[in-house]
Amino acid sequence: MSGATTVNLMDKTFADLKAAGKTALIPFITVGDPDPDTTVDIIVELERAGADILELGVPYSDPLADGPVIQRASERALVRRITVETCIDTARKARERGVKMPFVLFTYYNPVLQTGLERFFPLLQEAGISGVIIPDLPYEEAEEALKLADAAGVQLVPLVAPTSESRIAKILSRARGFIYCVSSLGVTGERSTFHRQVDEFIASVKAQTDLPVAVGFGISNREQVLRFSELCDGVVVGSAIVRKIEESLPLLKNEATREQGLLQIRDFVAQLNIKD
Amino acid sequence: MGHTAVKICGLQSVEVLKSMINLPVDFIGYVFAESRRKISPAKAAELTAALNSLGNGKVPETVGVFVNPTLEELEEVLSEARLDVVQLHGTEAPEFCGEVKRRFGVKVFKAFSVKPDGILHGGLSLEAYEGVIDGILLDTYDPRYGGGSGTAFAWEYAAYYRDWARERGILFLAAGGLHPENVRDAIAAMEPDGVDVSSGVESEGVKDPAKIAAFVERVKGSMTQENKQVPDEHGRFGPFGGRYVPETLMNALIELEESYRKFQDDPEFREEIAYLLKQYSGRETPLYYAERLSEHLGGAKIYLKREDLNHTGAHKINNAIGQGILAKRMGKRKVIAETGAGQHGVATATVAALLGLECKVFMGEEDTKRQQLNVFRMKLLGAEVVPVLSGTRTLKDACNEALRYWVSHVQDTFYILGSATGPHPYPMMVRNFQRIIGDETRRQILETEGRLPDMLIAAVGGGSNAIGMFYPFVGDESVKLVGVEAAGRGVDTEFHAATMTKGTKGVFQGSMSYLLQDAFGQVLPAHSISAGLDYPGIGPEHSYLKDIERAQYYPITDREALDALQLLSRLEGIIPALESAHAVAQAVKLAPGMSRDEIVVICLSGRGDKDVESIMAYTEGGAEL
Repeated sequence: MSGATTVNLMDKTFADLKAAGKTALIPFITVGDPDPDTTVDIIVELERAGADILELGVPYSDPLADGPVIQRASERALVRRITVETCIDTARKARERGVKMPFVLFTYYNPVLQTGLERFFPLLQEAGISGVIIPDLPYEEAEEALKLADAAGVQLVPLVAPTSESRIAKILSRARGFIYCVSSLGVTGERSTFHRQVDEFIASVKAQTDLPVAVGFGISNREQVLRFSELCDGVVVGSAIVRKIEESLPLLKNEATREQGLLQIRDFVAQLNIKD
Repeated sequence: MGHTAVKICGLQSVEVLKSMINLPVDFIGYVFAESRRKISPAKAAELTAALNSLGNGKVPETVGVFVNPTLEELEEVLSEARLDVVQLHGTEAPEFCGEVKRRFGVKVFKAFSVKPDGILHGGLSLEAYEGVIDGILLDTYDPRYGGGSGTAFAWEYAAYYRDWARERGILFLAAGGLHPENVRDAIAAMEPDGVDVSSGVESEGVKDPAKIAAFVERVKGSMTQENKQVPDEHGRFGPFGGRYVPETLMNALIELEESYRKFQDDPEFREEIAYLLKQYSGRETPLYYAERLSEHLGGAKIYLKREDLNHTGAHKINNAIGQGILAKRMGKRKVIAETGAGQHGVATATVAALLGLECKVFMGEEDTKRQQLNVFRMKLLGAEVVPVLSGTRTLKDACNEALRYWVSHVQDTFYILGSATGPHPYPMMVRNFQRIIGDETRRQILETEGRLPDMLIAAVGGGSNAIGMFYPFVGDESVKLVGVEAAGRGVDTEFHAATMTKGTKGVFQGSMSYLLQDAFGQVLPAHSISAGLDYPGIGPEHSYLKDIERAQYYPITDREALDALQLLSRLEGIIPALESAHAVAQAVKLAPGMSRDEIVVICLSGRGDKDVESIMAYTEGGAEL
């Protein structure tokens, strides 16, 4: 990739896992839910639980691609006025606590625009954030962002959907980092069924790219992680973890039970880890 | 496209001629041959005088149409009515054409009629006319009329005549069966220097100003010559618009755009919509001179475009009918919509009932409480109303939820979006379905006043009624365009929806536009007494019109709107919707400073029945604004 002087941490992680014949477990959490300090603690636990790459969600007032669980997490975080910069700062603090895994920021486009496109990507790079996913920035609108991301050495990870069809080749031609395959039509959230041709869809994407392929949207339990691990290089679990955090809020908010809450989250993610 | 000349033939009335003010027409044709469009030389002189008095921009050239005239007959006409061109439709010989040119100092166009086999009628030979004519006009041969029958010939025969004309440096005009719906295809097929139309721009045998405008617009591209066509192929209005949606929706939007572009020019599709607008919704809506309001304010003459008289009580039905028919054409059996006050929801539920479509309407839970009557109305019409519990539980969240639902059901569901907002192609499509407001207004004001208005005023939430009113006038620089947004409790409080006054550029619900947001890009809640204006975004074309300084946008507070609503109710016996009352309030501010011969048109987008309960709470119940 142009601009990156050293091997991107995310590329290395995917390469190492591939060499070991393993699939990346990629949790998603909303930064600032319930508060930035707790988020840092949760990140530490996630790495202990076997997370390989972490998606850090920037809370947004109008999260179009998200279902109710992540919408609620956003609302909780926004009470504390969490911004793009709070999220970047949280990533930096997690690093200071010794977290090694690569980070990918998940943010809607408007917070990026208001941070300033020129400013945004270098900020990520300085904080050691490897890539960014912008769900409402499709291929046609992404040209300038991609140029600036490349220049800063930050990977702009694209989404492809089962309905992308003829667009897939075009999207892959400009992909960086990995390909995020949307498992089903709809918003984020736990599901029991996926798009009926999801296996063919993932296979078709894999056949067209050398980049790692991750699958997300709706994957919520160990069984599903196992199922998708057969097909791709990474599995994203979001809403199920965010829901677990939501359930643990009473414990997390009380100093006496905080550790118990964090452990509960760690245990949940640990049972999703099928690598060992 | 764009450089092709337009000739409007068979003009008979000064009123029609005046309606063509500002339209880039190149030739005006008077028929002196036997025809139901025949006029006297005196009438032609009167028309030409009117043409010159319009006096803006380039004056069209005048063309006299004759069939085998004698030189004496030509002498008689030309002595009374000055003509730039004599167009000869019979079997006039080359020598005669040359003589007409020499003797009268006019240009000569020779019309040739093409028979179905591509051979010229009358055994004429094109080559013999070299050097004695200035243009050829190719028409369809009709055994009864010779030419001018209004039917199309096989366009593939045109190339020979076009190339012949071009090599000799003279004009090649195509005629015969052209109308607004086929003229683009005709130009693409024949590449003529100009197109000639007569019956194709008539309704019931009389020239129809709306059809003339549509025809000219189709030929010339945008009516706004200096502005480039917006939106461009990416759905951009300058820097605004675009398509910022999850990848899951991209193909649905591309499919929607392709279908819309395909059906847009389909005469059957257009006729179906036109039929429903007329017979079902009751269009055209009146342009009413509000004499008592004008007198009261003591300034400009104020007209009201009565969109409130549409079926379901607001302009929303114009767009719902258009998109509903499109949904049906696309084979979608289910439609969804978002609604704030319930007007668009009711319009969509209505159209769904009419077309036999399954309908779900998303409505913020707060709004379902504020507008219980409209919720029930939608249910009566067979729609399902889905209360939205996310975010601020108002219009913006209803939009989010409709989009989320659409992502999951994109294969069998059509999203009927109600405002000129959202991802491309919605802002363009909604504008085009709403422009009938401005098209009618233009024709009506020319009929009543013989000139264009000085100012148009319309309320702007997302901006669909305003863009529908403004769009046909964007090219008319003398017409001021005024959008009115909700200032709520004041633009310096936190409780307003003044997107243009207080907003900054951002991406919201699929497009780039002005937006109420904080410094970090979080969308701020809006406030207005009017649920239809209670929206933190605005359609991208409005942002464009603001930035190029073609339109101005002003805030009106809840209080000012309520006062204007009462004023209009008492002076004119018209209770406007709270949304429309904002436009009235701006007229109350501006009209007194204007002179009595100036004309203001207010878009009265909806009627106030839906609001009487909440108005009562303020005026009788002492509720705080």
